[in-house]
Amino acid sequence: MSAAVSPTLSAVLRAERHQLNERFAAARVRHPDLDAEAFAGFIRGAVDPLVGAVARTRFERVADVTLAAYDIALELIGQKLVGRSARTPHVGGAWRRILPEVAPLIAAAPERMITAVCNASHHLSSTTGARPGAWIELMARLGGQCTDSSMFLTLGQVAAWRAGMAHFRESAIAAADKLPEPLVLAAIEAPKARWAEVRDRLRSDPWYDPAAPNETSATARVVARVGAFRGFGGFFIEPPTAAMADGQIIVGSGGEWWLLSADAFGATFHRATREEFDRGRAASGLPEGISVRGATAMVRGCSVSLPDAFGEVTSACASRTTLALTSAHTHAVLLVALPVA
Amino acid sequence: MGLRDAFQRVSQSPTNPHAAAAPRTFDVADLYRGPVSPADEQSAAPATPLDEKLRQAYFWIVNTAIISPHYDVEFNQGPPQSFVLGDVKSRLTLPSAQSYSSYVLLPLLTFATRRKCLFVGGPGRGKTASAILMGVLSGASVRDVRRAMQHGHPQMTVADLLGNPLPADLVSAQRIEDIRISWRSWLGMRVKIIDEYNRIPTRTQSALLTVMGDNYAEILNHIYECPDSAWFLTANDEQGGGTYQVIEALRDRIDVIVQALAFNPRFLSELLVRIEQSVRPEEVVPRQIIFTEAEVDRLQGEIHGVPLPPEVRRRLEFFASQFEFFEGAAEQFEYKTKDTARLAGVEWAGLTAQDTGRDRLKDLGCQTRNGLSVRVLMTLLVYAKALAYFRGNRIVELDDVRQILPFVLRDKLVPDSDAPFFDAPGNAKYRVDRVGWLRQMFDLSCAEYDRLNLDAEDPVAALAAEFRQGLDGVSRTDARARLVKIERLIAEWSKGRKLYGNLYDDLLSLKYMHQRYTNYLRWLETQ
Repeated sequence: MSAAVSPTLSAVLRAERHQLNERFAAARVRHPDLDAEAFAGFIRGAVDPLVGAVARTRFERVADVTLAAYDIALELIGQKLVGRSARTPHVGGAWRRILPEVAPLIAAAPERMITAVCNASHHLSSTTGARPGAWIELMARLGGQCTDSSMFLTLGQVAAWRAGMAHFRESAIAAADKLPEPLVLAAIEAPKARWAEVRDRLRSDPWYDPAAPNETSATARVVARVGAFRGFGGFFIEPPTAAMADGQIIVGSGGEWWLLSADAFGATFHRATREEFDRGRAASGLPEGISVRGATAMVRGCSVSLPDAFGEVTSACASRTTLALTSAHTHAVLLVALPVA
Repeated sequence: MGLRDAFQRVSQSPTNPHAAAAPRTFDVADLYRGPVSPADEQSAAPATPLDEKLRQAYFWIVNTAIISPHYDVEFNQGPPQSFVLGDVKSRLTLPSAQSYSSYVLLPLLTFATRRKCLFVGGPGRGKTASAILMGVLSGASVRDVRRAMQHGHPQMTVADLLGNPLPADLVSAQRIEDIRISWRSWLGMRVKIIDEYNRIPTRTQSALLTVMGDNYAEILNHIYECPDSAWFLTANDEQGGGTYQVIEALRDRIDVIVQALAFNPRFLSELLVRIEQSVRPEEVVPRQIIFTEAEVDRLQGEIHGVPLPPEVRRRLEFFASQFEFFEGAAEQFEYKTKDTARLAGVEWAGLTAQDTGRDRLKDLGCQTRNGLSVRVLMTLLVYAKALAYFRGNRIVELDDVRQILPFVLRDKLVPDSDAPFFDAPGNAKYRVDRVGWLRQMFDLSCAEYDRLNLDAEDPVAALAAEFRQGLDGVSRTDARARLVKIERLIAEWSKGRKLYGNLYDDLLSLKYMHQRYTNYLRWLETQ
């Protein structure tokens, strides 16, 4: 291994040889099918560039960074999250794209930073509806502007929401308050706006996208079509129906129930219970001014333009900001943004 | 991360996920939780709920310490897959919900409830190692646990077990109170281990009984009060066939018996790793699963607080009422019990031969030589609550009772191997398989409960509910009406109905209520 890596990494590997070999043996106990070749490849292709980047900024931290990276790499290879058998390309992608860009932060807190990036990219890649690639690009682009690891981690939270983790919306908006204004505005792609104003609008309207502020919010409009047939990577084995329970959209399909979180940045589904769904069904009834008949939805006297072939609406429920519609013709839930009062 | 660390990994929470309660909140801080855990995370983590910690301990033991791939405590969510194999139609069931190995689960529940568990099984199957692990979970060092472990042997004296008077005091003391006692250190342990207890001489067993039963030791009028503790005993033969016969009172103090099942050679590689890496699991117990004394106190309180709903309790009552009744044992109704027969010392076979009228194949009471004691029933309730708690449930379910029952009753309900049931086709195995026998008895009892539709039609329960509301304010007319109701019910039952255990207990309950109303009525009339 040492012949193919940089002299800097090679020196650390030689110096810590005994300890590193013992750690490898320990990982083999936890993961008997640990792929030594894949591990060596990851050391060469991902750990070495990171160590090189750290060496260019804080050489004295190279050994600590190497040891932390080595341990985490072992765990990632063992769990098949990186390397040639990886279940997702995004954890390895996040390591390669983001970590070298924030080398000074890695040098200061290697274990915390590397772990956070790997866990976050895994979290995004295992959340249906999220866009891990977008998160990685955003973090690679803006991570270097962070002055410490806490700022970087907060930026990562905002970026995750921006990359489709709609269920994090409220806590991400609260977290964004801790970031410098230019950084948070860059993260939500509204560089010329003022954060205080943007934040207020975000809080009142989940369908407001600061990157496209001209989108009208005065009339009801179809904003998303979320969920899919299980055979195509979705959750539903039959066309779903929706109900509103405790202000949240609960979707049922084939004896399974899901909570739908959605906003302008994306939509995610989370396991729910039949009780929640039944509670929603029992309390169902659309708010005043909203009605659905056949294949037509009316909001405050105006007809909502539904997609062709959506068919007759089988269920409808609405919160203050969102109308959810389902049909027997599709495995998706149609989301309509309601005009903000 | 070193080799020791590899053996110290604890399962990630939640270990037994349940459906989330709504409405829920999502915290963006969860973004950074995932498959990689920083080394300092666990120390900074908020306190784990104790049921979760108990499950983590269980999973650490089964994944790392005790190789027991036997999921014999089965739970299902929906119908399980089941296969019939071999000429004698052996059934293999693949449970559809999280199931457990009794060999690890029962000792853990014993640890959490501070009761007494007996490990049985052939030599070299890890009985002592498992007991030591429980000692380490209580926070004691491996060295202390080993040193405090009592090894039964034929020469073991009371002094060996409890301690000695100081020799100097024996010579110089003028009064017995002046003799100081050097108590054995194990008496103060929170987990007490008696290895091979069936090799202890009978006299020393009696001293042990005092410690186990009453939690104190006595030498020369000096008393040592032991702390509340969990007990783990081992024996190669649960029938007391060691060097000495185990006295019945001592056996009765044991709450659960768990059998060390055979080692599956498919898992030999895991033994190999231990040899190659020189790792002994009891020496690498992760600190996250060590329980402080206060935590075990809290565990006990939380377990006792798990409610047992009336519909489950009723089935348990119905089951328990099957066994004590013995029609031919006495003339007076209250004494028609197996205990009466036992105390008389009359030959059992002669008594059972007189038993007539009832279907001896169907009557569960005919399968046993005794009934259930109060101690056993209390133990059963505690362990059922502990199992429900361990599974993260808010209330005890019927399955908790069904699964725990054989381990509690294993040595307590003595089968009558001459009973016709054991001669019926396919039942001979139950002479050997106590766990299977007890479980099928509970199933049969529940089936009979359903057949009698006792959930919906239980006149005694209705009368008892009325009685429990109290006698204050009950008028003379009402009291008389209730007495008549009771008498009518008994009269109805007496018309050609055969007397089974459950009916016997119901009749005794009716007699009790009748007596209370009679006394009340008498009192009213004197006012």
